[in-house]
Amino acid sequence: MSDRRVVRRARPLLGTLVEIGATEIAGASLQATADAVDAAFARIAAQQERLSRFVAASDIGRFNAAPACACIDVGADARTVLAAAAELRDASEDAFDITLGSGPRAWRLDERGLHKLADGVRLDLGGIAKGHAVDCAVASLESGGVDAGWVNAGGDLRAFGELALPIELRDEASGGVRRFATLEDGAFATSRREGPDGASRHASVAAERCLWADALTKVVVATGNASHPLLERFGARGWLHSSPIGSA
Amino acid sequence: MRLVLAGTTVAALAAAPASAFAVDYLSLEEAQRLMFPDADHFDSREIALDATQLQALDAQGIRGRSARWTVRIARHGDATLGVVVADAVIGKFELISYAVGIDGDGAIRQIEILSYRESHGGEIRLPAWRRQFVGKTQAAPLRVGDDIANISGATLSCTHVTEGVRRIVAVVALARRNGSLP
Repeated sequence: MSDRRVVRRARPLLGTLVEIGATEIAGASLQATADAVDAAFARIAAQQERLSRFVAASDIGRFNAAPACACIDVGADARTVLAAAAELRDASEDAFDITLGSGPRAWRLDERGLHKLADGVRLDLGGIAKGHAVDCAVASLESGGVDAGWVNAGGDLRAFGELALPIELRDEASGGVRRFATLEDGAFATSRREGPDGASRHASVAAERCLWADALTKVVVATGNASHPLLERFGARGWLHSSPIGSA
Repeated sequence: MRLVLAGTTVAALAAAPASAFAVDYLSLEEAQRLMFPDADHFDSREIALDATQLQALDAQGIRGRSARWTVRIARHGDATLGVVVADAVIGKFELISYAVGIDGDGAIRQIEILSYRESHGGEIRLPAWRRQFVGKTQAAPLRVGDDIANISGATLSCTHVTEGVRRIVAVVALARRNGSLP
């Protein structure tokens, strides 16, 4: 328990609610902390403009509209996320697939840009970009002088600095929450969807960075394996939640 | 990274009773000052939509839902800077109240969530459960370690908030056209 105050705000972004908490910057006005929170929200909004498939002019919108053999010039955010997505795809035998089945191997990122290798392949970074957005917002808060806080993008969250963040897990079947863990200096993400076998799975992953936590929940849900070897490779830990928390 | 589990096992977690969850972010007064820091006062105005106006919204694909709206007009002296409208939407388990700041040219200036409430069980459909939160967004200054808990779960869609914002923008545009708002 500390006497430092916290600026806590939430806005609708990334198709969900994004919450940012920042402990007040020592030796500065509370307004300086609020300004750092505003800047972190702006960083997320800027990333959304570049990565959302719903924005025609975004890197992903232009890829999806392009013909086969096109090479799309992409920004730094897209490069980070796409490089991670390619690594996860290759290491998971395509279980992690940002094309949602439209052609997991029909895109390639290299120094020239993002190559579209077939007509009809479409990218959707919904399974990984929120995690990256959280990481970017944390970096923005830190560069703004905030030394402890958290960012939560609809359940994909990260805590940093000297702060123990209590994490509540939502009961997806009947609402309400249950205390799951306390997190310090790390990321935690949860996902729930139908696996390839039709069964509904509900999984969480803790990792250093939120990009990996977010993406690896998809691997755990897709494979039904909370001890998938990929988790260890990224220093992550996974859980499959049982009924009634994840019951349909 | 340091993660300390609350329960001993995932099964124990599932057996624990679910609790409700609530966060207050800002009061409406705080939100309107954030959105229009240059305003020296805010005038409150009631807008009542008639059946024809509700039909006009319907024709735009926007469900009017409510015929009565309270709009806060941000002013600096005699000049109108914009308006702020607060609303609340209900999802599957959550009640979200939010405020939208709209500039004089009709563009959205800012959207701030005022409060978030998550129920357990079916309480969210009960008017009594919802009423207990009316006017409760006091936004006391938080201290580290007080109540900073965060929810993780399958991604919450904010479709209801997005629809609500569209509705407010349309209502404000309509009120400006018919002269009931500056």
